[in-house]
Parts: sequence; C-alpha cells; structure tokens
Amino acid sequence: MKDLFPKQHVMGFGFSLLLTIVALSVVKFDMSFNMAFGILLVTAIAQATVQLVLFMHIGESEDKKTLYTTILYAVFVGVVTILGTLFAMIWGYN
Amino acid sequence: MKIDSSLPLEYSTEENRLKIFGFWIFLGAEIMLFATLFTVYFTLETRTGSGPTGSEIFELTPVLWETFLLLSSSFTIGLGVHAMRLGNKKAMMTFFIITLILGLGFLGIEIDEFVTYVHEGATIQTSAFLSALMTLLGTHGAHVTFGFFWGVAILIQVAKRGLNPQTANKAFIFSLYWHFLDVVWIFIFSFVYLKGLIS
Amino acid sequence: MSMEEIFHPLKEPMILGAAISIIVGAVVIAVGLTYFKKWGYFYKNWLSTVDHKKIGIMYIATALLMLFRGGIDALLMRAQTAVPDNGLLDAQHYNEIFTTHGIVMILFMAMPFVIGLMNIVIPLQIGARDVAFPRLNAVSFWLFAAGCGLLNLSFIIGGSPDSGWTAYFPLAGTEFSPTVGNNYYSLALQLSGIGTLLTGVNFITTIIKMRAPGMTLMKMPMFSWSILITNVIIVFAFPVLTVALALMMFDRQFGTQFFAMQNGGMDMLWANLFWVWGHPEVYIVILPAFGIFSEIIATFARKNLYGYKSMVMSMVVISLLSFLVWAHHFYTMGHGVMVNSFFSITTMAIAVPTGVKIFNWLLTMRHGKIQFTTPMLYALGFIPIFTIGGVTGVMLAMSSADYQYHNTMFLVAHFHYVLIPGTVFGVLAGYHYWWPKMFGFRLNEKLGKAGFWFIAISFNVAFFPLFILGLDGYARRMYTYSESTGYGPLSMVSFIGALGLAVGFALIVYNIYYSWKHMPRNEKADVWDGRSLEWATHSPVPEYNFAVVPTVSRLDEFWFAKKEGRDITAGKIEKIHMPNNTGAPFWMSGFFFLAAFFAVFSLWTPAIISMLCVFGFMIHRSFEDDHGRYISVEEVMATEKSLRGDK
Repeated sequence: MKDLFPKQHVMGFGFSLLLTIVALSVVKFDMSFNMAFGILLVTAIAQATVQLVLFMHIGESEDKKTLYTTILYAVFVGVVTILGTLFAMIWGYN
Repeated sequence: MKIDSSLPLEYSTEENRLKIFGFWIFLGAEIMLFATLFTVYFTLETRTGSGPTGSEIFELTPVLWETFLLLSSSFTIGLGVHAMRLGNKKAMMTFFIITLILGLGFLGIEIDEFVTYVHEGATIQTSAFLSALMTLLGTHGAHVTFGFFWGVAILIQVAKRGLNPQTANKAFIFSLYWHFLDVVWIFIFSFVYLKGLIS
Repeated sequence: MSMEEIFHPLKEPMILGAAISIIVGAVVIAVGLTYFKKWGYFYKNWLSTVDHKKIGIMYIATALLMLFRGGIDALLMRAQTAVPDNGLLDAQHYNEIFTTHGIVMILFMAMPFVIGLMNIVIPLQIGARDVAFPRLNAVSFWLFAAGCGLLNLSFIIGGSPDSGWTAYFPLAGTEFSPTVGNNYYSLALQLSGIGTLLTGVNFITTIIKMRAPGMTLMKMPMFSWSILITNVIIVFAFPVLTVALALMMFDRQFGTQFFAMQNGGMDMLWANLFWVWGHPEVYIVILPAFGIFSEIIATFARKNLYGYKSMVMSMVVISLLSFLVWAHHFYTMGHGVMVNSFFSITTMAIAVPTGVKIFNWLLTMRHGKIQFTTPMLYALGFIPIFTIGGVTGVMLAMSSADYQYHNTMFLVAHFHYVLIPGTVFGVLAGYHYWWPKMFGFRLNEKLGKAGFWFIAISFNVAFFPLFILGLDGYARRMYTYSESTGYGPLSMVSFIGALGLAVGFALIVYNIYYSWKHMPRNEKADVWDGRSLEWATHSPVPEYNFAVVPTVSRLDEFWFAKKEGRDITAGKIEKIHMPNNTGAPFWMSGFFFLAAFFAVFSLWTPAIISMLCVFGFMIHRSFEDDHGRYISVEEVMATEKSLRGDK
C-alpha cells in the first residue's frame, strides 16, 4: 500500500498546497502591488516547475534536453507576446 | 513491434516514444494558445465598459475549491501513473476514476460560477473584460471537459484490454495533458483571480 | 439568411461563369472517374493514403491550382489599375479580389507548396521510411483541403471576404462587414490552421527522432535544418492565429466585445494578435526556400555548402527574432516612440542573419563549377532580386521613415520582392529539382528555362514600377486613381509585367503536360549527381523509401560514398513495417468542413451535429487497434529488383 504513495509525489502535492496558501497571502495581507505581483510570480513558477519536473517527469527520457528546450522556447515566446502586447497596446501607447 | 522491457511500458516501443515526444511538442503549442488568451485578458482587464470589474464579481471560496480539486486531481493522476508503472491495474484505474471525479467537481463549480455571473448581469457580451475573462476560463474548462471524455475512453480500454504498451502509452499521455491543465489553472488562479482581488 | 443573400454573388456574370465552370469541371471529373472505373483506385491510393510522398503530391497539386486562382485575382487587379478611372471592377469587387488574392497566395498556395515539398523530401533526406505520425499527416492535408475548399466556396455562396487578407477591425466586424465573407475567413483559416499546427508537431518529431543512424543534427542536410526550424516556428505561431480567429468569430457571431468600438473593446488588438502570428508566418514561408536554395546551389556548383554552422545558427537566430518584430507591421497605429524604436531595432537586426546566408551562398558558388539547370537559374535569380526586397525591408524597418512608405505601393513592391523571388522561386526550383525523384522522368529543360526567364524578367517589370509609384504617393488597396495623379504610365508597365508572369506560369503548367507525354522514362535515380540521401533511393520512390536504412557517418554521406565507390544502400533486407491506409482523415475532415460551413451561416444545430461526427471519428480512432502491416522480405526484394533498372 505504501508503495502506491511515493514520497516524491506526496511531497510535491504538499509543496503545491503550501505554495497555493502562500499565494493567498496577497489577498489576505496588505502589501504593495509590486510585492504582491512578485509573490504570485514566484509561487506560480514554482508550482509549474513542481508539476513539470516531479509529476510530468520531463527529465526522465533521452529527449529531456529537447523537451526542456521546447518548454523554455514556448515560455519565452509566450512571455514576449504578453509583455510585447502590453507594451505596444497600453504602456507604450500615446 | 520491438518492446524494450528495460523502459516503462508507455515508453517501451519506438512508436510509443514518438507519441510521447510529439505530445510534449503539442504542449508547447498549447502553452502559446493559453499565452495568447492571457495576452488578451491582461490587455482588456481594465476595460470594463459599463460592466463590473473583476474584484466586484470574483469570489475567493469557490475559486479555492476549484484550485484544491484540480491540484488534488493532479496528485491522484500522478499516483495513477505510478501504480501503472508498478503494473497494478486496479490501483491505476481507481486513481484515474478519482481524478476524473475531481475534474467533474471542478467543472461543476466553474459552471456554477458562470451561471452566477450571468445572473449578476455579467455576461460574455457585457464588456471586453468579461469577454476576455470568460473566453480564458471557458477555454480551460473546455479542455478539462474534453479531457474528461478522453479519460473515460482510456479507462474503458484499460478495463477491457489490460495494461499493455498501447494502453499505458495513452494513459501516460493523458496524464501529461491533465498535469498541463493544472499548470494553466495555477496561472489563472494567481493572475486572474488573486491579482484581480488585490485592491 | 435569405436565399437571396446567400446566392447574391451569382448575379455577377464573371462569378456565375466561374461557378458554372467549377460545376462542369467537377462533373467531368466525376464522369471520367466513373467511366474509367477509377473510383476504387482513387479512393484506395489517394483519398485514403497515409504515404508522405502522395500527401506531398496532393499538397503541391492543390497549390498549383490555387496559384492559378490567385494569379487570376492578380491579373484582374493589374488590369483594373492599368489605366486611370478604369471601370473593369468596382470598389466592392476590387476589395474582394485583393482580399482573396492575399489569402489564397499566402495560405493556400505558398504554405501547401512548402508543406508539400517538406512532405516529399524530409523522410527521404533523413533516411526515414515515413513521418512520425502518418495518419496525422493525412489529417493535416485533409483539414487544409477543407479550409481551402471552404474559402473558395465563398465567392459563389454568400460572398467573399472583402476587408483585406489582414481583416483589420473595426472594418472586419459585423457593423462594417455584415455579409458572411469574414465568417468564411475566420472559419476556413481556423480549419487549415489546425492542419498546419499538426504538421508542425509531426515534422519536429520526425526530424528529431527518426534520422538515420549516425546522422546527428549537425550532419543533416541544410533543407532538413530549414524545415526543422520552420516547424518550430509553426508550432509556436499558429496557436496565436487560431485564438485570434476564434475571437473574431466570437465578436462577429456571438456578440463579444474583444475588438469592438464600445464596451471596452480594443480594435487594434486584432492587428496586434494577427501580426504576432503574421510575422513568424512570413519566415515560415521563406526558410524552406532558403533550405531549397542551399541544396540546389551546392549541387549545381558541385561544391559543399559554405559555412554550414553559420547557416544553422542564422536560421536559429531568425526563428527567435521572428517573434520579436511584429509591430513593424503597424508602426503608424499610434504608439509612442519607445515602442517603434524597439521594434525598429529588432527588425533591422533580423536582416543580419539573412545577409549571412546570402554571403554563404555566394561563397559556395565561388570556385565551383556552375551547371545552369532550371533549378539553378531560379537560385541565381533569387540572390540579386530577393536582395532588393531585403534592403527595401530595412528601409521600411525604420519607423520614422515608414510613415512615408506604409500602405503605399512601396510596401506592396517590397513584400512581393521577398515573396516571389524568395518563396515562389524557391518552391518552383524545388519542384523542378525533386520532380524526377517523384515521377521517374525529368521536366523538359527548355520549357523550364523559358518559364524561368519569363517569370524572372516579367516579375521585375511588374513590380519595380511599384516602388516608384509608392514613393510618388500611390496608396495600396485603392481600386482606381484619377489621371491627374500621373500613376497611369507606370501602372500600365506593371500590367504588362503581370501578363508576362501569366505566360511564365502557363509555361510551367504546360511543361507538366509536355514532359509527361515526351520525356524519357528511364532517368537514373540520381539524376543531378546529388549530395544527400534522397538521391540514393529509386525514382519513383517505392512505398517504403529505403529497402535498407543507410548508416551515415558525416554530412553528404551519399556524395562521399559515391566518390569512394561504396553503395550506401547495401545491407541485409528485413521485413518492413508500414502503416495501413485509412479513409478516416478524409471523412473526418469532410465533417469538419460541414461544421465550419454551417457555422459560417450561423446554422448552429447542424454545425454541432457535424462536430459531434468529428468527435465520433476521434473516439473511433482511440478505440481502434490497427498495428499496420508488414512488407515481406520477398516483396521488398522483388520491388527492388524491378526498380533497379532505373539505377
């Protein structure tokens, strides 16, 4: 029965719950927007990493370099699209 | 078909390895799909017209429940894949069924959330903000719904055909999909709801 | 929607004539297939094929047909603007024509031509027996065909889209475009876009995972590298288009406010999203052409490609930068200086890696022994003419200067100077180059060269005047101009060039017929004395590509094996595993087509029912237990023996 609940998975789940609670702090406590945004960013990226590495086993096959490159490339293009759009449409707009 | 028994079942044939690889590439495309929806959301977030803002309609409690259900379902499907690698078909199916039920629970709360918004006069047509919000949430929800039916199809196949390279491969790929949806939800939870509730 | 509204295009004589010829053509084909009892053959070998070579041929055949359609659009536009105050086309028709010209040429001519060539060549070049996902490959083609068919239906039923191939809001919204034209736009492009995205996944997997033993990435032919990078761009760019088109559909048909002019909508957001996709898209169509030119220049200069590593690096850099330049398509939309400056810098930067490639091609030819075959002529024409397009691109890149050039004929000339000498010359060169590999006979050289000269010279006659007209103030997408503008003479010159282009393309098509009738069939498989693995297969290529998968130890292994007197295909023949043909991709795409068609007219119940049928096919596929078949050793040996006459 115990080997149905591997330690890595249980710890990963616990860590995710913890990160969710930490993220909640931005609503429960008074803080500057930048501080709140920073907490949200860190907790979200940490949770995403837990999912990718611990649960999805991104590093377990011979293709791990390609997979990491793909995900990083996708995140890069995604972030550029989000920030670039906000820059062109709102922040940098006359 | 050559089976490499030193690898887990889902990786054990050449075709299996290609499918897993191909699905990871597809997830890269899905990252861009959701990135675009987030782009639209962040751009239109403050453009509420005569409709309500996020902080006026978001409710933390159902959102926390959605998060807990989806996170837990990610945990249970991880346990399901682990059981599959141990060759334990019964445990694997049990964990997968629990995962799908948790997913249904998530969908139930989300549908209720949408119905509540509509009753409050916040529809997808009300403002650009609401169009963007509901399209982002709705696309994620549609993915979960599609995943539910996909998961059921796989469970039926595992029940009838047992754990073999094909069924294991499908179940593993499905788990990648399900985990990915949880990752997307984490960003929705953080940057749509929590960020929207900061005031 | 009334019958009157749906069929109103047929009131125009030109459109009625086109509709009648399409119906007549379809009836003739159907009758012919029935009379010659070829339905079975057609269904078994083409409609239900999963063979990458056949799929590639179908893509290219469609592309050539669409080249004709887009070309007619072009001729009509040039004819209308050849003289001032011309009455050949009114404004509405002109708008529909330049819209469909753009959509057809980029999405239904250039893309399928490029994807067709990659389908035919890539598995052969990397020493594989097929792509990673043959059935998905068929789905990609049939979804593309469904989208293409849907858009082409629009001009007969319901009316073409008419707000430009870029479909900017608010013009593309329901207030200013109330007919279904832009519904066709959003749905047809969503359909074919899904097909293209699946191609991206398929080819990345194929190239990364299925190369012949010993062929590391840095020992791969340059065309294969260009296709790998192209498909990476496809995978990350096409989802953006799919989302944008879905949001367009929501705004037009479900009353959302994304790009609206009230309730917080932002119409400019459409242009932004479109070009986030649109700029990578132009690199998707040009990189394969660069890859083709690399192969052709090395082969016909009898020299290895100069600067392999820098060629690879430049394409990687281009792929990254291509996602960073998109706002240069709308410098004049009202942004502040910071935005325009940022994008000007990235846009100018992206010209650098292409410049590196041009120098590498020139250095490849230096001290080489040039053979002036038809493919080589296209490559030689490409280098100077494309460069004109490239440098005018750098002119446009400077945002402050662009206020003068934007949306004038200068811009039109620039992008045609990169698209035609780049993409079109590239696919025509590739088509001539790989034709013998596919069909076992060459295309006639005299006709091929005549076609090249007509196209190359006429192209410059047609488009160079547009640079001058643009600087003179001639705006694009204008159906006419008055005589006092003085645009008449150069516009007439441009029209003459367009006629020359038509002759050139007619020669290319005639070459197919002439060569099929007259060219000898016993061409050797390695017809050009090539360098890469595809030339080690027979012509035409057997179903399984390679009887024995070659082992590779360096770049251009086949070339060196020939020089050293080794047979790269020698080895023990074993039974070969092949996928089964299936009609499911065809039928599923048919239902997808129906769903999209009903959605165009907002007939939601039949649309949903059709989509349920699509899901039905997916469910069936999930439960299907098809493990393919084996070709026995005896059958392989027999096929090899009968084909060996070609070697």
